[in-house]
Amino acid sequence: MTDTSKQETILGQLRGILEESSSIEPDWDSFGPQSTIESLGLDSLTILDLLYDIEEVIGIHLEAKEVLNVTTVGEIIDMLVAKGA
Amino acid sequence: MKRICQLAEYGFFRCVLFICDTLPYSVTCLVARGTANLWWLVDKRRRIVARDNIIRSGIETDPKRALAIAKKACHNMALVIVESLRSTDFLSDDAIDQHLKIEIPDDVKAVLEDPEQSLIIASGHYGNWEVAGHWVSRYKPVAGITRAMNNPYIEGLVKKRKSRYRFRPIPKHDGNTGRFLEVLDNHEILALLFDQHAGEYGMMIDFFGHPAKTFKTAAILHLVTRAPLCFASCHRVGPMKFEINFSPLIQQARSGNKHEDIKAILSSLNRDLENTIRQDPTQYLWGHRRWRD
Repeated sequence: MTDTSKQETILGQLRGILEESSSIEPDWDSFGPQSTIESLGLDSLTILDLLYDIEEVIGIHLEAKEVLNVTTVGEIIDMLVAKGA
Repeated sequence: MKRICQLAEYGFFRCVLFICDTLPYSVTCLVARGTANLWWLVDKRRRIVARDNIIRSGIETDPKRALAIAKKACHNMALVIVESLRSTDFLSDDAIDQHLKIEIPDDVKAVLEDPEQSLIIASGHYGNWEVAGHWVSRYKPVAGITRAMNNPYIEGLVKKRKSRYRFRPIPKHDGNTGRFLEVLDNHEILALLFDQHAGEYGMMIDFFGHPAKTFKTAAILHLVTRAPLCFASCHRVGPMKFEINFSPLIQQARSGNKHEDIKAILSSLNRDLENTIRQDPTQYLWGHRRWRD
């Protein structure tokens, strides 16, 4: 799998995870790697929720402290790719 | 004008501190009870909330007896303040055994004694939670959420007093969970009082058989960071005498269903708190609107 298709797969998985979350309703039309955490309506506590789901769905454990410092979805994807997703 | 009011409040608070620091403990308690009685007379809304909560919990069905429990609980709050202000005196190394009895399971003790481990302690507004926080800071620094005082002068004074033990306050309205992670990364203790209405951050969990929005922070932190988690309470058994009880570590394996995992942890914590409250309902803070249907 190429890096681009890997990233697209992860993006789809992240969208699936976020869609499952009833607490946020972002604008899905503009959802992509450039989407900011802020624009998605995620705060630090909902990010922890997200980390649980990422580990279950993608099978990669991300350190909570690192993820709290990211500003875009693309950065989360990069972290997952770097960890072998 | 605002500044003058704040200075007046500060002056009154200094007087209260002076009374606490200089008068014998028994006299201070009398003053505290008197103040609590006045508060009880004035604050009708909280009086009714407390009575209704006690009835709803099923601890008492008769409104008059429920009100009597609520009044004693109001006295308890006044005692919490007095005891907390004096805790440095009676929690000194040579006096501690006369004042505290500690029940602590081996697994929790091992975590406290391991410099490489952090611990999340979940508790409720029962007995004197401040004394428990003070005692446990003997092992590691403790961080907990505190509500900042509206008066900056009093806030400064309170911070100065609290710095006498290893407690680091995290402001209540600082929503940054990064602060909690920092505490856990530093292998410190994160003390969380989970028994207030949690609003949007909560999950509906039964408390005395009725659904109540319960903070899920302790549960999700435990599930995501794998930091050990336990429940603790500090029960007053006499004047300046307490029993601090820790539950064994809560071992919640991840099932893949986040909602169910969080629910299992929070249900366990609520049950622990219910059992603690049943020991002596007059030591619980009933005046908070925990159930908001």
